Amino acid sequence: MDRVFGIDLGTTNSLIAYLGDDGPQVVADAASGSPLLPSVASFLPSGEILVGSAAKLRAAEAPLETIASVKRFMGLGMGDVKPEDRGCYPFAADSGPVVRFAIHGREYTPPEISALFLRELKLRAEKALGEEVKRVVITVPAYFNDSQRQATRDAGRLAGLEVLRLVNEPTAASLAYGLDKHHDGLIAVYDLGGGTFDISILRIHDGIFEVIATNGDTRLGGDDMDRALAAQVLQPGEDDPHLVRAALIAAERTKVALTDNEYAALELIAAGAKREHTFTRAEFEQFIRPVVERTLAPCRQALADAGLEAKQIDEVVLVGGATRVPLVRRAVQELFGRTPHTELDPDQVVALGAGVQAGVLSGRRKDMLLLDVVPLSLGIETVGGVMERIIDRNTTIPTAARQLFTTFMDNQTAVDFTVYQGERELVQDNRKLAYFILRGLEPQPAGLPRLEVTFLVDANGILNVTARDLRSGHEHSIDVKPSYGLTDEQVESMLEASFDHAVADVAARLLIEARNEGDGILRATRKALDQATDEERGLIEAAMARLETAMRTTDHNRIRDLVDELNQASMSLAQRIMDHSIKEALEHRRVDEVVS
Amino acid sequence: MLPLPADADHYTVFGIPRQLRLDQQELSRRYYELSRLLHPDRHGTASAVARDASMRNTAALTRAHRTLRDPVSRALYWLELHGEKLGSDNRVPPPLAALVFEVQEKLEELREASAKSRPALTSEIENVLGELEARRDELDQRMEANFLKWDEAIAQPTPLLADLKSILAERAYLSTLIRDVKATLAGDTAVARPHATR
Repeated sequence: MDRVFGIDLGTTNSLIAYLGDDGPQVVADAASGSPLLPSVASFLPSGEILVGSAAKLRAAEAPLETIASVKRFMGLGMGDVKPEDRGCYPFAADSGPVVRFAIHGREYTPPEISALFLRELKLRAEKALGEEVKRVVITVPAYFNDSQRQATRDAGRLAGLEVLRLVNEPTAASLAYGLDKHHDGLIAVYDLGGGTFDISILRIHDGIFEVIATNGDTRLGGDDMDRALAAQVLQPGEDDPHLVRAALIAAERTKVALTDNEYAALELIAAGAKREHTFTRAEFEQFIRPVVERTLAPCRQALADAGLEAKQIDEVVLVGGATRVPLVRRAVQELFGRTPHTELDPDQVVALGAGVQAGVLSGRRKDMLLLDVVPLSLGIETVGGVMERIIDRNTTIPTAARQLFTTFMDNQTAVDFTVYQGERELVQDNRKLAYFILRGLEPQPAGLPRLEVTFLVDANGILNVTARDLRSGHEHSIDVKPSYGLTDEQVESMLEASFDHAVADVAARLLIEARNEGDGILRATRKALDQATDEERGLIEAAMARLETAMRTTDHNRIRDLVDELNQASMSLAQRIMDHSIKEALEHRRVDEVVS
Repeated sequence: MLPLPADADHYTVFGIPRQLRLDQQELSRRYYELSRLLHPDRHGTASAVARDASMRNTAALTRAHRTLRDPVSRALYWLELHGEKLGSDNRVPPPLAALVFEVQEKLEELREASAKSRPALTSEIENVLGELEARRDELDQRMEANFLKWDEAIAQPTPLLADLKSILAERAYLSTLIRDVKATLAGDTAVARPHATR
C-alpha cells in the first residue's frame, strides 16, 4: 500500500512527516540536516525562484521580491489585508477577491506560493525515501474558515498532490503526543504559531480523539511579538520596506535570545540606519503582554463552549514556536493550573501528528480515530439581514443540515441564497462565503415548489451544498459564486501557467492524477472481488478490463469516465460489504440495551 | 456503502426504537462504535462512491447524536416527528407572566440607574437570575420525569404532546430571558430587549 504523508504547512516553517515502524518521523533536508523548511520564497529577476533557507537569507536584501508568512493571506481578499501588512508586501494593484503579489511582471496568489513549499517538501521526501509522494494530509489552523481551507487544498493540488484530508493543527499535535496511551481524559492544546492562534479542547476515549470545542484567532501569533519589539527601534511613521523588514528580522532574533537569556541586544543595520538597543526580558514581556493576553479570551470561550472549568483539564499541550516564550508558558500554566507538556519540539509536533493521521488514513493505524469539529457557525441571510444559523460552531464533522426553500412570486424560476460563516447576529458582521443560485425551476404558483438544500461540511471542514426538488426527487443543479478564493477554472489555468518547469504539461499532470485514481479503485475492487456475486463479477471484471486498457493510453478524460463506470458497477458490492461489517459489529448488541 | 435514505430519521440512523427515554451512556457508546465503522478516515483509500457515502452517513450520525444526546433537543425533535413545532409568537407563557414582569422592570431600572444605585440593583437581578435558572432546572426535571409517561402513551398522543409542547415553550422563553439578563449584567447594551425571543 502506498504511504500517505503528513505536511505541516506553517506560517514560518513547513515540514513533512510519515508514520514509520517506530512511530511518526519527520524528514530532514539532506544538506542542512534540519526538518524545517522556512516558508519563504524569493523571486530572482532571472526567473529563478528560491525556496526555503536561501529565500530567507535574501529577505532583508530584497524584501519586495521575497514573500514570507504567506499563510496569513490564504483565502483572503485584498479588503482583508491589515494596513500594517500593506507596506511589507508587493501586492498587485488590481487584486480584489484574491490577494495577489506582483513580482517581476508576474502575479502570484498565496496558494501558488504555498505550492512551492509543498513541492519542495515532496521532492525532499521522495529523495530521502526513494518513493513517490502522491497522497498527503495537510494541517491547517483549527480556526481557519472555509475559504482559507479551500485555499490550502488548492495549494496541494497546484503542487501535484492528492490532499486526502485537511487536519486541524492542535488536533494533530494531540495525536503526536500519543496521549491516548496513558488514559482517557480531557486535553487542552494551546497552539501559538508564527501567525495564528488556536485553542482546542479534546476528550480522549478509548483511542477516539473527540474535539469538543475550538476557538482562536487566525491573525495572531509570534509575528505580532516581533512587530511589538520592532516598533521599539523604529520611529513612528518609518515605513521603508527594507528598514521594516530588517527590524522584524532583528526583533525575531532578539525574541529567541530572550527565551534563555535575561537580556539581549537588537542590532538594526539597514537603509543607511544603524541602531542598537539592549532589552531585558522584563521589558520584552511588557511589550508583548497584550499579544499574550489576546490568547486568553479564546481559551475561556472554548472552555465555556465545552461546558468545562479550566481546572477539569487533565493535560495541556503546547504547540508552535511562540510557546517557547517564557511569558506564554507562565500564562498557560496560570490559566489551567498545571504544567504543560513540552517534551516534543513545538516546531515539529504538528508535523509528527500529521504523520500519525496519515497513518490512520492509509489504514496503518486502526486503533485511533479523530472526530473534529467545525470551528465557526454557518448560516444564511434571512429577513432584515439577520443570520439564521444552520450549523452551529463546534458541531462534529462531517455534519449536514437541511433547509427548505420555496418561491415567493408566481412563476419564479430561480431561487438564491447567500451563506455566511461567523458568530455575529447580523450577516454583515460575518464572513460571506458564497452566493448560490438554484435555476431552472418549473414555473409554478408562489410557495408551491419545495426545494431541499443540504449543507454538508465534510471531514476537511469544507462546505458542500446540494439541492433536491422534493416533488420530483431529482437532484437540482446549483451555481456557486464564492466570495473569496479561486474557482476550479482558475486553479486549472494556474496549473496550465504553472511555473514548475519539471511538470509543465497540464495534460501530463491530469493524466497522472487520473491514473492514480484508476490505480486506487482497481486495487480496492480487486480486494473485494471475491465477495461479489457471479452476476456482479461479470460486470465488474468487464469494467476493470476497460479501465486497465484505458490506463495504458494517455487519454485522461477516458480514464476518468471509466473510473466512474467501475464505481457504478461495484456500487452494490461496496454497499453489501459495508452493510455486512456494520451488521457484524452491531449484532452483539441488543437494541433494547440502548433504551433504558 | 450507500447513503442512508435522505429522509431517515435520527432513531433509524442509530437503529434504535423511537423513545423519549434514552440511556445517554449507551447512546454515546453506540455513537463511538458507529463512528469507528462509518467515519471517512476509515475509508480514506476506498472508492469515491464509498468515500462519499461514508461522509454522508457519518454526517447523518453526528447530526442524530447531537439531537438525541440532549433531552431538550430530543424532545423538540419529538414534536417535529409528530408534526408539531413550537410557535414563533412572542407571547409570555402564562405561568411565567409575573416573573417576566418583574425581570423586565428590574432591567429597565438598571438601564436608567445612576452609578450609585447600580451595585444594589445588580445583586437584585442576580438573585432573580438564580430564580429563573432554578425554574428552568425544575422544568427539565419535570420533562424527563414525564418521558416514560409519554413513551407509553404513543398510541394516544394528543393531550400528552400538548403537555410536552407547553413545557418546551416555557423553557424556550426562559432560556432567552436568562441569556438576555446575563448579557445585560455583562454590560452588553446592544443586546435585544428581554422580551424579544428569537
